[in-house]
Amino acid sequence: MNEYEILEHTADIGFRAWGPSPGELFRNAARAMMAIATEPEILSGLEERELETHGVDYPDLMVNWLSEVLYLFDTNQFAARDFRVDDIATDRLRATLIGEPREPERHPWELIIKAVTYHQLKVEQRNSRWQAEVFLDI
Amino acid sequence: MSVSHLIEQVDDYRWRIPRVKGSGMLTDVRVYASRDILKKVVTDRSLDQAANVACLPGIVGSSLAMPDIHQGYGFPIGGVAAVDCASGVVSPGGVGFDINCGVRLLGSSLSREEVRARLKDLVNQIFRDVPCGTGGTGYIKISQKELDDVLVDGARWMVRHGYGETNDCEYAEARGALLGADPDKVSPRAKERGRPQIGTLGSGNHFLEIQYVQRVDDEEAAKTFGLYQGQVVVLIHSGSRGLGHQVCTDFLRDMGPAMRKYGIELPDRQLACVPVTSREGQSYLAAMRGAANFAWANRQGMTHFVRQAFRRIFSNDVHLKVIYDVCHNIAKQERYEVAGKTQDVLVHRKGATRAFPPGHPEVTPSYQQVGQPVFIPGSMGTASWVLAGRSGSVDETFGTCCHGAGRLLSRTAAKKGRDLKRVIKDLEREGILIRSESKRGILEEVPQAYKDVDEVIEVVHNAGLATKVARLRPMGVIKG
Repeated sequence: MNEYEILEHTADIGFRAWGPSPGELFRNAARAMMAIATEPEILSGLEERELETHGVDYPDLMVNWLSEVLYLFDTNQFAARDFRVDDIATDRLRATLIGEPREPERHPWELIIKAVTYHQLKVEQRNSRWQAEVFLDI
Repeated sequence: MSVSHLIEQVDDYRWRIPRVKGSGMLTDVRVYASRDILKKVVTDRSLDQAANVACLPGIVGSSLAMPDIHQGYGFPIGGVAAVDCASGVVSPGGVGFDINCGVRLLGSSLSREEVRARLKDLVNQIFRDVPCGTGGTGYIKISQKELDDVLVDGARWMVRHGYGETNDCEYAEARGALLGADPDKVSPRAKERGRPQIGTLGSGNHFLEIQYVQRVDDEEAAKTFGLYQGQVVVLIHSGSRGLGHQVCTDFLRDMGPAMRKYGIELPDRQLACVPVTSREGQSYLAAMRGAANFAWANRQGMTHFVRQAFRRIFSNDVHLKVIYDVCHNIAKQERYEVAGKTQDVLVHRKGATRAFPPGHPEVTPSYQQVGQPVFIPGSMGTASWVLAGRSGSVDETFGTCCHGAGRLLSRTAAKKGRDLKRVIKDLEREGILIRSESKRGILEEVPQAYKDVDEVIEVVHNAGLATKVARLRPMGVIKG
């Protein structure tokens, strides 16, 4: 089963992600974004970093979660190749990032992502699956 | 809401979408386009987005769409909205994530022939000296305290610290720094992202091009700006990097809840806004101005390194004059006559350029007779334009015209079936050398991905918003 796919947009880029649970959906969304930002295969998974974020609802939480992961990458703090969502509710999320501290020369941006947008943002349950659509400004 | 079917023709270059009763629209939408351009515009949702912008509380005049309009986030790119400063709202989405993304043009003392002989060396030198920032940081190291000073003084700080020539800032919108910036309103995160990135180009559609003046359309204006046929110029298209992106992210996050407090409801969360006079609105504007100043400093820093590169390849006698520097993602307080009444408005320009006419007090003194220079970058294989502002802009569009060619194809569509070597060869055949950090950067920005810049220019020229001064052709392209 696909975990995410890239979506078209005239000026920018987006993705659609799926998961059997909200936690898996948020994990796959972050993996989709990192696959656009860099080449996750070149990152080791030797270190972990804990992260907690909040939002008013699932869509807001999604933007804030992805913005946190992006901020850590852009400031060279942490380059994540995978994620484990340890606890999630509609208004908060606690997760573990798996990767390594970013060394920009070794871990360049493949495409610099400026920000995560609210544009046509969707986080919803469809039958037994959770699905999200997110657009990124590049 | 879907509005494309409601469009009415006003004249050859103007179209109108009337206000739809009960839709939340407070005004109509005015579109500047030829019939051919309009046919392309209606293929995406940009006009629906312009109709959403017409719902912004306090909007004055029409929601405006420039001929390079395409679908953006919340606001369309190529969208303009003026709101009343006393009763209107400020929308970070109406400025965009890349605050003061803009264009600076440098006029060199070299001819096309002189540069052609050393083009490869020059392109390689600039590629080394102006990092795009995908795999490292810039060469300008500043402390936290110095960054705060940059946020207040913009390009002027750079010039004072050796990254420029004395009168560079005379030739920039707002003289390279907006008043009213407050570094305390810029979050520590935004500063952390931006500080190492000063003097870097960025990726996406940002670029640095070595071009030559292919044709002059207005001799007097060209001479006034210091441009002549066959001259080599440098066009820098870049913005406020991670600092501006984080400022927008921070305020969008906080404005969702704040909107509820002020009882504002809008069709798209990305349009989030608060009253201009509110605490949140004033904080955003103070932070936005800081980010705008960072962007001017960024383009000033790159100017310094471009000058160094030219001098290293040619000689110390080579001169590069700043012709002008315009921003195309900004919200600015300006004064206009609206329906016979003088009004202070906050003009949101999202992918749109200020284009003040001759005689306007904010035009650089030496350009007073001909109007403010406006730079319209095209795609990397085609052309860019120098225009001069015209009175139509003040009468109709809150002193604004277009900002680029406008994208036509998505990034995926642009890449489809294209071979990198072929694209590079095709450009070389046209005399254009390209260097990029990424293969993707080239393929996604192929000329075919954009509308025809000449068609866009025809519209703003014929509608009287700005006038054609010179057409520029690329020789060397540096991309993120």
